[in-house]
Amino acid sequence: MTDAVLTSGPDAFEETLGRLSKKAGVRATIVLDRASGAILKTSGQLSSIRNTKAPGSSMPAVGSFSSEASGNSASEDQGAEELASMVWKFVGTAGSLVQELDTEDEVKLLRLRTKKQEFVIVPDTKYLLVVVHDTSSA
Amino acid sequence: MNQRRDEILAKRAKLAELKRQRELRASQASARQSIDSNELISPTPGRADNRREIESLIDSLVRESRPVSVSTGANSPGRFGSRPNSVLSAGELSNENNSEFAIPANGQVVTPQPQILSTISSKIVYECPPSPVKEVFSYSKGVQTTETWPTPRHSRAFSESDIDEPPVTASPSKRLSRRERDREEELRENIRKEIEEELRAAKELVTDGVLKPSAAANFPARTLTAEELRAVTQSDEFMDFIDRSTKVIEKALDQEYDILTDYTLQVHDIDEDDEQSGNTGGKGRRKVKEIAQFYDERWSKKRMVSSIDFSPKFSELLLASYTKNPAAPHDPDGIVQVWNLHLHDRPEFVFHAQSDILTAKFSPFHPNLIIGGAYSGQVLLWDTRARSAPVQKTPLTGSGHTHPVYCVDIVGTQNANNIISCSTDGAVCGWSVDMLAQPQETLTLLTPPPAKAEDLAPTCMAFPQADPTFFLVGSEEGTIFPCHRYDRAGAKAGVDARVSYKGHAAPVMSVSFHPSRGPVDLGDLVLSASLDWSVKLWKVRAPAATSAVAATVSTGGAAGLGSALGGAGLLESAVSPLLDFVREDVVYDAAWSPVKPGVFGLVDGAGWLELWDITVETEEPVARISPSPRKDGRTMLSKSLNKLAWEPSEGKRLATGGIDGAVSVFEVGPDLGGKEGLKNEEWTSVKKLVNRLEAVGGNDGAGV
Repeated sequence: MTDAVLTSGPDAFEETLGRLSKKAGVRATIVLDRASGAILKTSGQLSSIRNTKAPGSSMPAVGSFSSEASGNSASEDQGAEELASMVWKFVGTAGSLVQELDTEDEVKLLRLRTKKQEFVIVPDTKYLLVVVHDTSSA
Repeated sequence: MNQRRDEILAKRAKLAELKRQRELRASQASARQSIDSNELISPTPGRADNRREIESLIDSLVRESRPVSVSTGANSPGRFGSRPNSVLSAGELSNENNSEFAIPANGQVVTPQPQILSTISSKIVYECPPSPVKEVFSYSKGVQTTETWPTPRHSRAFSESDIDEPPVTASPSKRLSRRERDREEELRENIRKEIEEELRAAKELVTDGVLKPSAAANFPARTLTAEELRAVTQSDEFMDFIDRSTKVIEKALDQEYDILTDYTLQVHDIDEDDEQSGNTGGKGRRKVKEIAQFYDERWSKKRMVSSIDFSPKFSELLLASYTKNPAAPHDPDGIVQVWNLHLHDRPEFVFHAQSDILTAKFSPFHPNLIIGGAYSGQVLLWDTRARSAPVQKTPLTGSGHTHPVYCVDIVGTQNANNIISCSTDGAVCGWSVDMLAQPQETLTLLTPPPAKAEDLAPTCMAFPQADPTFFLVGSEEGTIFPCHRYDRAGAKAGVDARVSYKGHAAPVMSVSFHPSRGPVDLGDLVLSASLDWSVKLWKVRAPAATSAVAATVSTGGAAGLGSALGGAGLLESAVSPLLDFVREDVVYDAAWSPVKPGVFGLVDGAGWLELWDITVETEEPVARISPSPRKDGRTMLSKSLNKLAWEPSEGKRLATGGIDGAVSVFEVGPDLGGKEGLKNEEWTSVKKLVNRLEAVGGNDGAGV
């Protein structure tokens, strides 16, 4: 609980995320607005996540993305947006699953392990944080 | 954000219209109201007709719209006219007044139904005489409320709508506003939908070529402007979220065990040399292994660890208090960091104080509370549910401590406990956890008479497990004094003049009572560490010892010193240590293992953590280890370890901290900690050792 008074907001924010992205194996972090899906902050090589995505690997995306391999050369922003969109949809789907099981329940943490990496997603009421990191061995 | 702005604009327009309507209505209502009041006092027939018409209309309308509970048998407008006029009571009048806002203002249909209002003068039914006894109010319980807790914030949408709403004056209009709100909500919803559709359309136009429409359709992502981004990222709510979520993720990443490990697969190079890897000390079942080191670039830098304590409730949490960072004058001088063994790179909580924290401790009775003592003489209380500032602190006045507080403790029971603090001028204060505005009890410790100077400078304090009214203080001169919090038989509150534990030749840095949770009571064994390069083992007299007991012991212990035998109760008897562990450097801290009766740990100025087992060996430690140096740490004079703490429930882990600000956590082998394989013999062998030493000590004393 870092005090917002003593550490100016953006600094602490940058510092916290910076430290997170400096951890071994962390490839990217994204902060999204929960309601709109607007990207608030990204770091790391987002394009690398898409690049490593060979056809057939388990991404949370729908099938339509595999046909989009040509889009990999797009800019970093584009990559971030796409990834954000996929993650956002994934969280939405997970959320609806939980809602249908129990309307008073909510998603607290999503860990999606694939052969190559892991997505750790913390959805909150207003924002959501995604960290993509390598899994050392699988 | 645009969407939101549009919404607000639309709402404003709507509100303006509503306001206009309301004003119209209000003017009508006030006109009516003035008539109403006139009439009640003196009904003038000319106006009354008109008035009655309106009233009857209102009444009929009211009757239609909702059941009236006050009047009887007048539920339909048809029957209304046949009713005796005098029945119309004040209740109905007020009923009418209440509901006038709910009536459409334009419904001015005239239906003549003459009514006569009559009022009855008020009658006194029962008069209550004023009480002849003057009441005296008194209230003595005090609770310190200087620190206000942050009130939970409403979400922004909520507060905005609250502000935008025109001030609602009376409760009758509630229903109207609800209806109004519903309508607004509907309107807002429509607008939102429209805007969303527009946005979506725009999005599709812009990104059609790149993104598939299917992907973009339900992802209304749009780039925020720099301004909006800043607004969001600077909000407290966002900071809280980042703080919480990154902690979760870091814990997830720090989890060492891979739950997907497939043991049927070929074993790759799993470190078989686990025994040798990492920083270890000791051998076999007495191994010590460093399992974590906590250091935060931001907060630990250039600070020294002044105390460590494990949480009594959560064995993975430990706190460390720190002195000031001389290179950062704008940071708070004193901090307390709570570290989590599952979160390696950052503290779970950081707490601040305006002065160096010299000691801190988790409350054993409330897992959220942390108490601390500061260089300024303040005693502070933090709450892990609150922000980093202390929720309570003692004032900087003469009523409490005016010297640095190096030792605090919470003693008592779950329902009745006190914070006891001790400062270097010899002042001991007892505080209520609820109120730190002033001490509940104060005591000044003075060196008993034979000494040249009266002043006593306590450096450490320890309470035995069983007795919250008795404690030991280690002093700067090297003597350990027993003290009583209250007067008791044969001894006044304060330093007990009859006994003192002399042996150390330099300031005593720590005193530790044996935890004594076992088949044999060893609660009277005390370890003390001192700057004279030694740790000593003492057997403490029972605090309730009468002068007779003191006398007999003093004859045994002090006879060799040539003390007079008579009047030993008044004479100070110096008790010498049972055992002396001489080390190669100053010893800063020593602490008994919470589970193993014969095991204790010590940390010294050379940076060694040593583990001793007096049932095995009293001449040298059974294991020793030094924390692995930090990569960027200073090389000179940075190794010294200040403090040591055992994890209280299992006794398998212990933490050390020192001059370089790093907190290292070690895990000990099964012979040095852990509850399994605990044997009763260990307790009896410690007891036997003590008995043997006592006998030898007595002979020594007599032989000198």
